[in-house]
Amino acid sequence: MALAATSVKKTMPHTLFHTALYASLALCVLGLLWRSSAWFRVRVGPDARAVTLSQRLGALLRGTATALFGARVLHILGACFLDVLLLRRLFAREKPRWLGHLLILAGFTLLLLMHAFEALVTVKLFPGYESTLAPYLFLRNLFGAMVVAGIALLYFERWRRRTGLVSVRRPMAAAFAVLLGFVLATGYLLEAHKIASPQAFYRMAKRYSGTTDPGELMPLRAVWASEFGVAFDDLKEPFASNVMERGRQMHDADCAGCHAKPASAFVSYPVSRLLAPVTALLDKGRADIWLLYLHVFACFLGLATLPFTRFFHAVAVPISLLVNASAPNRAFSAAGRASRRALALDACLRCGICDAHCSVAPLARHLGNPYLLPSHKLVATGALANGRLLRSGRESDGFRVAEGAFLCTDCGRCTNDCPAGLDLEDLWQAGRGDLAAAGLPAPAQWVRALPALAWAEALEAAAGQHTATDPDASCAPLSADRRSFSRCVQCQTCTNVCPVVAQSIAADHRVDLTPQKVMNLLRLGLRDLTLGSRMVWDCATCYQCQENCPEGLRVTDIMCELRALAAHRLGAVRSWKAPS
Amino acid sequence: MKYALFLGCKIPSRLPAYELSTRAVLLRLGVTLVDLEFNCCGYPARNVSREAFVVAAARNLAIAERAGLDVLTPCTCCFGSLRHAISFLEEDPELRSRVSQALAVEGIAWSGKTEVEHLLPVLARTIGVDALGAAVRAPRAGLRVAAQYGCHALRPSNVARFDNPLAPTTFETLIRLTGATPVDWPRQLDCCGDPLHESNAPLSEHIARAKIADAKASGAEAMCTACPHCHLRFDSAQAGSPKPSIRSLLYTQLLGLAMGLDEKSLGLECPESPIRGR
Ligand code: SF4
Ligand code: SF4
Ligand code: SF4
Ligand code: SF4
Repeated sequence: MALAATSVKKTMPHTLFHTALYASLALCVLGLLWRSSAWFRVRVGPDARAVTLSQRLGALLRGTATALFGARVLHILGACFLDVLLLRRLFAREKPRWLGHLLILAGFTLLLLMHAFEALVTVKLFPGYESTLAPYLFLRNLFGAMVVAGIALLYFERWRRRTGLVSVRRPMAAAFAVLLGFVLATGYLLEAHKIASPQAFYRMAKRYSGTTDPGELMPLRAVWASEFGVAFDDLKEPFASNVMERGRQMHDADCAGCHAKPASAFVSYPVSRLLAPVTALLDKGRADIWLLYLHVFACFLGLATLPFTRFFHAVAVPISLLVNASAPNRAFSAAGRASRRALALDACLRCGICDAHCSVAPLARHLGNPYLLPSHKLVATGALANGRLLRSGRESDGFRVAEGAFLCTDCGRCTNDCPAGLDLEDLWQAGRGDLAAAGLPAPAQWVRALPALAWAEALEAAAGQHTATDPDASCAPLSADRRSFSRCVQCQTCTNVCPVVAQSIAADHRVDLTPQKVMNLLRLGLRDLTLGSRMVWDCATCYQCQENCPEGLRVTDIMCELRALAAHRLGAVRSWKAPS
Repeated sequence: MKYALFLGCKIPSRLPAYELSTRAVLLRLGVTLVDLEFNCCGYPARNVSREAFVVAAARNLAIAERAGLDVLTPCTCCFGSLRHAISFLEEDPELRSRVSQALAVEGIAWSGKTEVEHLLPVLARTIGVDALGAAVRAPRAGLRVAAQYGCHALRPSNVARFDNPLAPTTFETLIRLTGATPVDWPRQLDCCGDPLHESNAPLSEHIARAKIADAKASGAEAMCTACPHCHLRFDSAQAGSPKPSIRSLLYTQLLGLAMGLDEKSLGLECPESPIRGR
């Protein structure tokens, strides 16, 4: 029972404790293996599909070897300290959140080392250790309070910095926070109860003073009632000074070696004051036992489920940061990149920092498409890679994911801002490759798959079938208004100055229409015929036509409108994978 | 002189040298640049929704307006986008009210107070050729360059209000100030091909190559650019060939060199992308 704290040893049957411990440990290890195996199984990006599992494992081995024995070892140690322990990337971006995270990280780790592993760590390092001595009473309360304060600060920051953008789903985030809160609450309650409990007092008295006789123990009880917070219901302060004097002598003889005054337990002690009136009841119900069971089993539950909750990022993020430090970005092979992408899917904290600063966030808001936002895009990229997006069979999801992916400007802000150090730029590029392969390429590509006439026919066939709201007024006011093209005299100036027409003749990338013909089709009321045309989609928006038109027609502005209109209307008659 | 610096998406991620050299040159010329958190200029959204495009652009203008600043951008396409959004807002009251509603969610508003300026006219007119000429210490005499304005600087001229769209002179004047010589090249006003890069790469490259060949045949030793899109397009259209037949030089780098600024502060040794390779 080397692992168990003394109080556990005294209360819980060995076998029960051990069975539960090793079972949850085994679940945790199996879970970790399963989750981390995904880093070598999941394939994001066309280049990732070209590498084999053994190549990816090979890249891992090579990478680890170079990391450990190569020139960057100091760099990696630095990253270990600054990035992993001190959360440098978060510090650089959002200081309050950094503080919150650091409080949780430090509080949790210290609780784990000093308290959960007391038999393994603290006792060995500090031979005089007793959990009820100063400063451990205080420290335990402090570390717990750090975790609570950290969680509260993170939730507060999330609220304070709410952007109005849809936040990405954080599965199990609340459940995990509740579990963590439950562990801390039962810990504090258990400690508080034991401070106030006469039963606990008598148990100890029996062991160390050899008696449980209330009269005989009277002086000691007086001291423990007034200075250690035990809620004896048959005693009332004040006590005579000679009784206290005697009690202190008894205390020094039998108790002082292991017990400091509990007031330094700045959470549990005040709680014990609140519990004092019901302590007798709790004693009767053996709260010391069931609170301990709840506390310990909640910890085991947390351990067993760790790989499947949000807390997994505590494993994935440090690994991601260390992998980043192990080599410059350029140095990763295709196999290495493939694994990094899969790792990134797990290491994302869902913190939404990227969303808040994303260059296209206002577009996401206005188009009502959260898949423009990096954190949503990351989840969708994962869903596409593991087949969930395609299996879901919801066309609209696929279209929206593609819209988000192809509107990204590759500005790199998300990559710069990500506290987990994810190479999102690489992930977006890979994701776009996957989308194209799944029949969801950029509009310019899927429109190109059919000739303009076929699109016009598809629109005609679908007329009346779908009730897509007509976007003309807001989306294409010029092309919907005769006045903006009726003055065209078909002089061909626009066509003559168009570099796309000129170069496409030279390069044999023939356009199907010319700007002048596009204008003519509008005049003839055949707008649908232009929507899928090569000319409209190959227009470079150079504004030569518009600048030079003798009639002052806004030819380029109309071209832009037609594309937006086409994306909308052709998108409505398009089915997934066809045409592709 | 004080401006909000609008870098757009391309410069920070792909051409940090342009940011570095713009800052270095303007600092030396006594211009204060303020950094606000702007978003995408809206250009990519034009192919999806006119209104979303204007909302994105107007949000930037509103943010600058809140700070009481005019916008200065070294990116020609961002310049065109923002100017376009202003003209759409001015001509369409209904659009204006919908955009205002969208901005009101964030407590900001567009009222048209903020001007959008491209770097070149600010150098040539606001700072002025006299001040610039006085700042030049090490003229780059003998260097022959092809001035690439970029479509959206010049056209549509009623929106851009930049220079004469058929015979512009701003860039040539600025180049002469550095001691270099601008060449005449027939394809000067053509598109660089960049907007087609994603949708039709072969065509895009063909258009870019035609310009490069023209500049070279006209005697230019370098392309002189004032837009990250043109600049990167010219460079990447030549990537792969044994060595670039003609390189692109950012105007801010040329000017900075002529002003005697050191190469490092002009980003002349900066890797292309700050994100990759970090
Ligand atoms: S790279 Fe794309 S997703 Fe990332 S911040 Fe820029 S626009 Fe947003
Ligand atoms: S990608 Fe990075 S910044 Fe974005 S939510 Fe995930 S961890 Fe946060
Ligand atoms: S230049 Fe103007 S008037 Fe002439 S064909 Fe083109 S759109 Fe019509
Ligand atoms: S704006 Fe488009 S249609 Fe007009 S000249 Fe340029 S490429 Fe041709």
